[in-house]
Amino acid sequence: MPLWISCIGYESYRQIKSELIFKMNSFYSGPSIKLYGKLRNWFNFDKNNVLQVYSGKIDIGQHISSTLALISSKITGINYDQVEIIKLDTDISPNEGKTASSLSVPDSGSAIKAASLSLRKAFIKYSIKTLNVNFEDIVFDNGIIKDIKSNRSISYWDFAKTNEFNDLSIPEKFDEKEIREFNYKNDQKIEIKTINDIVTGNYEYVHDMVFPKMLHARIIRPPNYFSKFVEFTNNINHKLDELGINLLIKNSFLAILSTDEYLVVKYLDIIKQNIVWEEVKKLSEDTVYNSLKNNNKESLLVKSGGEAFYENIPSLKEFKDKNYTTLTSEYKKGYLMHGPIGPSAACAIFTDKKFTIYSHSQALYDLKLSCSEYFKIDPNNITLKFRPGSGCYGHNGADDVAFEAAVLSEKFPDIHILLKWTREDEHCWEPYGSASLNKLTGVINDEGKIVYWSNEAFSDTYMTRPSNTELHNFISYNFIINNFTKHKSTPKTKAHMGIHRNLDPLYDFGENRLVKNLVHDLPLRTSALRTLGAFSNVIALECFLNELAKTKNINPFEIRINHLRDERAINVIKNLKDHMIIDIQIDGSYRGIGFSRYKNSAAYCAVGVELKVYDDLEIKLINAWISVDAGEVAYEDGIKAQVEGGFIQAASWSLYEEVKFDTKEIISKDWDTYKIIEFDNIPNIKTSVIDQKGFPYLGVGEVVAGPTGAAISNAIADALGQTVKTMPFTKEIITKELLEN
Amino acid sequence: MSKIECNLNINGKNKTVNIHEDKPLIFVIRDELGLTGTKLGCGLGQCGSCAVLIDGEKKNSCNVLAKDYQNCKITTIEGLKTDKGLNKVQQAFKQYNAAQCGYCTSGIIISLSSVFLKKNDPTKKEILSCLEGQLCRCGSHASVMKAIDKLKAS
Ligand code: FES
Ligand code: FES
Repeated sequence: MPLWISCIGYESYRQIKSELIFKMNSFYSGPSIKLYGKLRNWFNFDKNNVLQVYSGKIDIGQHISSTLALISSKITGINYDQVEIIKLDTDISPNEGKTASSLSVPDSGSAIKAASLSLRKAFIKYSIKTLNVNFEDIVFDNGIIKDIKSNRSISYWDFAKTNEFNDLSIPEKFDEKEIREFNYKNDQKIEIKTINDIVTGNYEYVHDMVFPKMLHARIIRPPNYFSKFVEFTNNINHKLDELGINLLIKNSFLAILSTDEYLVVKYLDIIKQNIVWEEVKKLSEDTVYNSLKNNNKESLLVKSGGEAFYENIPSLKEFKDKNYTTLTSEYKKGYLMHGPIGPSAACAIFTDKKFTIYSHSQALYDLKLSCSEYFKIDPNNITLKFRPGSGCYGHNGADDVAFEAAVLSEKFPDIHILLKWTREDEHCWEPYGSASLNKLTGVINDEGKIVYWSNEAFSDTYMTRPSNTELHNFISYNFIINNFTKHKSTPKTKAHMGIHRNLDPLYDFGENRLVKNLVHDLPLRTSALRTLGAFSNVIALECFLNELAKTKNINPFEIRINHLRDERAINVIKNLKDHMIIDIQIDGSYRGIGFSRYKNSAAYCAVGVELKVYDDLEIKLINAWISVDAGEVAYEDGIKAQVEGGFIQAASWSLYEEVKFDTKEIISKDWDTYKIIEFDNIPNIKTSVIDQKGFPYLGVGEVVAGPTGAAISNAIADALGQTVKTMPFTKEIITKELLEN
Repeated sequence: MSKIECNLNINGKNKTVNIHEDKPLIFVIRDELGLTGTKLGCGLGQCGSCAVLIDGEKKNSCNVLAKDYQNCKITTIEGLKTDKGLNKVQQAFKQYNAAQCGYCTSGIIISLSSVFLKKNDPTKKEILSCLEGQLCRCGSHASVMKAIDKLKAS
């Protein structure tokens, strides 16, 4: 941090910075343009009347291709229908890192906006020069510039053949004048790019790929992570040979393959009943909450700004004065799964010493390097091509299945291998969102001002994506090399990484004591699930804030607004309040709210919930209000779809979800043993998007989750007269907590 | 395990396939007939992504055998279109962009079609009951509800 910032304090710096940005109203092209600064890195005009746009981000259900096409269409003036986003292909697309962390629009959207601005500007200049006319003499229509006097015209497609186009660099910054004319309307209705194919059954997922002689495959999984293959109890080889079924055994990594998918599915079950595994280690020894408290851990101090430091953790302060009220609380959340409806899949072929892998991974470029390391092959001989999968909410099974398909394809060269995970694979083998525990202490004075705030988060890592230096993060790699040691994670320290995401409150609480605890030797495999630690940290924060407010009879809106200095944050909360007030509360229902700014640097979101708690403790969601400020709006309906989808998923996490396991195996193997929300509990949702023209795009994939969990929890607290501190809010858990108090 | 000749009527066309007799309907639809709009989600009858219409009624195709449906009219998502274009459920989904990843969508459209093709204005109870067991993980429910409101209004 520069000296002047540390002199004025980070909070003031943040405020000054946002005011400066507001006043300058400049537009920054973002990190992708620094790496890919030429127009030709982003556009291709080889197809007649079609603008093909390259992006390093993929469609994982968030409609990114539609948003990017809309951004480009609005600026270039080419019809939305004629803009095509090229599916990520590592041979031709820009490497924009992972499609994660709500960065698709901030990164790729900003880059494509910048590229489109440059393209349009250069095209107009070129056309005027070539036609030898004045600006007033031209008309611009759907990518074609016409001289009204002579009727001569030039199109983008002509311009793309010139050296000017080929050489043109995109600036890293645009000033207000250059972007003012593109202050277009943001409520434009479009048909998303994928919808026609989806509703007619023609949208091709990787699961649907077909090639001549293709082999369908499944992995033969053991009971848990620590199981070594011993033997088959019956000689099944003869039967498999007879049916043309292939079996691949590489130490404890086993797979079954056939041209007939059903035979694979059927014999997978038969083989599983005829196989012996040796249990090298138990899956778990204790309950997860005991382990979170008692296991070895590394504790880091999180400071204002959200970074974590290896520093001594100060003891909790005591406030003895009678004007101060001190509260303590503990919030708990179990393991959550991504659980896509379609299990992960990948298709791979190894031919002419080259791999081609079709995958729906969020991290195709990382996969390329990981495969290069594993197979000891030049990365130039590996191509990753994006093909859609079922919805993706973080690091799920997509990377694992792609790696496994590549391993199989090397053993069966020149044939495409289509490997699908089973429902049980997806439920039991994906890396989960970690269980967590938050211990809070807060002190509020008689004026309703919170003067001291301590939040200690205990959790496992959210960062085990595979890479060329961490091949062990592919689950099957360990079975291939028969190594079952658990790898110890190291705490990540950057601002708002993993466990300490949103641990640093945006509120001004006088003095903060924030501790990140990375707990070791926890039972289940974990990694990035939508929001990482922010879901539990925001819920703990927002529920505890209500608990403190209640001691002084302060209204939930007031306590929040009174502790905020960020105008945009206050604005979002007021917007929520205005919307909730309009709707008359239904008899017998209860309301709660939650707020967060994701990572304290991305979108702002406030959520209100109205629900009923029935006598048997069943919870029915009735109404939900969402207010969101995601900077400049690129595509309003896209933002709404994202936050409403995120709300529903987070409501499901809050009300129903927890991965169950015992000492031997994971018990949540299917949708009967891991319940998720259904259509019978979807509230009426009203979303209000606050457009901040001229401000940077802020992603919205994750911002709504924490506030949703908090709003539900606070509404339940209102209904029951006490906060339920363990998630999910099932009848069993609520009953247990009510009886304990 | 022997192979049998199985005669199916799918999307108005008669098809004969030579299959293992214990082959579930979904694998015949997807792998033998190439109609991949029907999705495999769980294979356990729990998620509804493999739903098809059997004589107009919704049925999960992953846990039933193809040979048992030889005298029925089977309709998959690809067969909902009529000469006039998309059916009204498909149209409403298109109008409201009622999908995120879309993996669950064909099953949901099939389910709603089983109700809306019979009745113009089904009750909320009938709609919720046809959607029972139709899982979506992306949270497309809100946009699906908007499409349903449109269907009810039209
Ligand atoms: S795939 Fe048939 S119900 Fe899930
Ligand atoms: S839209 Fe992705 S599972 Fe429903």
